[in-house]
Amino acid sequence: MSTVTNTDQPTASRASFVPTGSGLTFSGVLRSESIKLWSLRSTYWSFSLVVVASLGIAVLMALAITSGYDSASGTAMGVNGPQLFVLAATAGLGLGQLIVAVLGVLSISGEYSSGMIKSTLTAVPNRLPALFAKVAVLFTFTFLVGLLSVVGSYLVAIPILGAKDISANLFDADVYLPLLGNVLFLALIAVFAIGIGTIVRSSAGGIATVLGILLLLPTVVALFSMLVEWVQDIMPFLFTSAGSEMITPNTMESWQGFLVVLAWVVVSLGAAALLLKRRDA
Amino acid sequence: MIQAQSLTKHYGSKTAVDAVDFTVQPGKVTGFLGPNGAGKSTTMRMIVGLDRPNAGSVIVNGKAYHEHKAPLREVGVLLDAKAVHTGRSAYNHLRAMAATHNIPTSRVHEVINLTGLESVARKRVGGFSLGMGQRLGIAAALLGDPATLILDEPVNGLDPEGVQWVRKLTKQLAAEGRTVLLSSHLMSEMALTADHIIVLGRGRVIADASVADIIASAAQDFVRVRTPQAGALATLLAQDGVTITNIELDVLEIGGLTVSEIGERAAAAQISLHELSAVSASLEDAYMKLTQNEVEYRTGDASTRHETEAAR
Repeated sequence: MSTVTNTDQPTASRASFVPTGSGLTFSGVLRSESIKLWSLRSTYWSFSLVVVASLGIAVLMALAITSGYDSASGTAMGVNGPQLFVLAATAGLGLGQLIVAVLGVLSISGEYSSGMIKSTLTAVPNRLPALFAKVAVLFTFTFLVGLLSVVGSYLVAIPILGAKDISANLFDADVYLPLLGNVLFLALIAVFAIGIGTIVRSSAGGIATVLGILLLLPTVVALFSMLVEWVQDIMPFLFTSAGSEMITPNTMESWQGFLVVLAWVVVSLGAAALLLKRRDA
Repeated sequence: MIQAQSLTKHYGSKTAVDAVDFTVQPGKVTGFLGPNGAGKSTTMRMIVGLDRPNAGSVIVNGKAYHEHKAPLREVGVLLDAKAVHTGRSAYNHLRAMAATHNIPTSRVHEVINLTGLESVARKRVGGFSLGMGQRLGIAAALLGDPATLILDEPVNGLDPEGVQWVRKLTKQLAAEGRTVLLSSHLMSEMALTADHIIVLGRGRVIADASVADIIASAAQDFVRVRTPQAGALATLLAQDGVTITNIELDVLEIGGLTVSEIGERAAAAQISLHELSAVSASLEDAYMKLTQNEVEYRTGDASTRHETEAAR
């Protein structure tokens, strides 16, 4: 027989197994994070709640606007149709902001509390692609859900506000720019929260920190500004104030507000990336 | 192949792994033994880059784990604790893991079938029993058809059928030329599965040899003798190199002599024997001997504990 056999060789000198097949890619990690996001019930609950809260509060807000409204008083107060539509369409996003903040924290802290992070980081040992993919996926879907919320809210406000002859055009820059600004801020809150969740690595701590920054910090700084005058100058640079500055400019330009918001997000994500890379998982 | 060089890890002031050197060869099942806190899990975590060594290095298949282009195809790992989000189904967990490496869904179904998870694959992992969780962990480790497998306590919580399955699986994977590193506290199981053993104690390698060599070097075969004249027999056989332990009133354990030597000499001295049997040393005996001074968390002696309590 011409076949060469080596069956009598000892176990140790057996040919080593050589792995074959597809490798790790960033698009693969993106897909993985997307599967992770959409395979948890909490994602559906949270996003549904954002939309429902937005639509519901839009109806209430539109009704509140129209009660006792006539075009003469509206003109007297200096409000116009686009402003009222934006007010109604975005009134419910405040609750949405809190929901996506919690969702953002949980998307990473849930991995730490369940031990999933070990699976994630053994699949993506350079770690940062996993964090950035998570950010990209949550940003994208939060943006889409936010868009759905404000456009839906705009639509439900049309018949209510229309009854009092209040009108606006969605494709008017006075309408779509503030709406998009709100949606962008919503998605950036989710990203900011992922950063905090990665830094803190605990659901309770992460949620407390993010909600503290969103809800508590403005009040605390406002109180301090009564005691110390210069503290008042900090106010516009708070995360939430900068968010509203970027949508409806008051003390600074819209792009400046956006840059301040971006700075908060970059600091949060930067610290998260640094710690994720450095710390033991 | 896994190669560790002066691998060291501190947690605060505690040294978990202390300048460890070892090589895990392909084509064999290597058992990783040691008492709780000996550094096995920490070492495994360092191999796949979850923990960063304070000094030294460990490479897998020629490179640091994170330098591989397809880490899951190089190393499949099951770590001691569940590493799965409890709210996700087993199927979706595996799909998410597979996606990172563009592993097709057909492979996800393959590992689900291989590990016997078909009936629970769509259920949320939070409701899994320990054994089901282990099967899912093994499925995840096999996902990339990896050249190296690192399994921390894979049989923990498995039913006897599962234990046997893991034994066959690991042997088969090693026979295919893969590197298999396996930790377990079940010595009898380890003796059946492993070809080679690395024993850690307090963060150091205290033995690194084939199973047979470990047993031969650390534990002695002995002969068990039951006789009504235990005292007389002990006196008769007492000589250099022979150890005699009186286990019961009429039972002796004799090391250093063969069954036939004892039988012949007892017969010559007209000592009647009711039992005469050779007992081979087990891996467990060898392990206990090797690690008796290395145990981090020793079970308290009941009697001394009573004294301490009385003294309070």
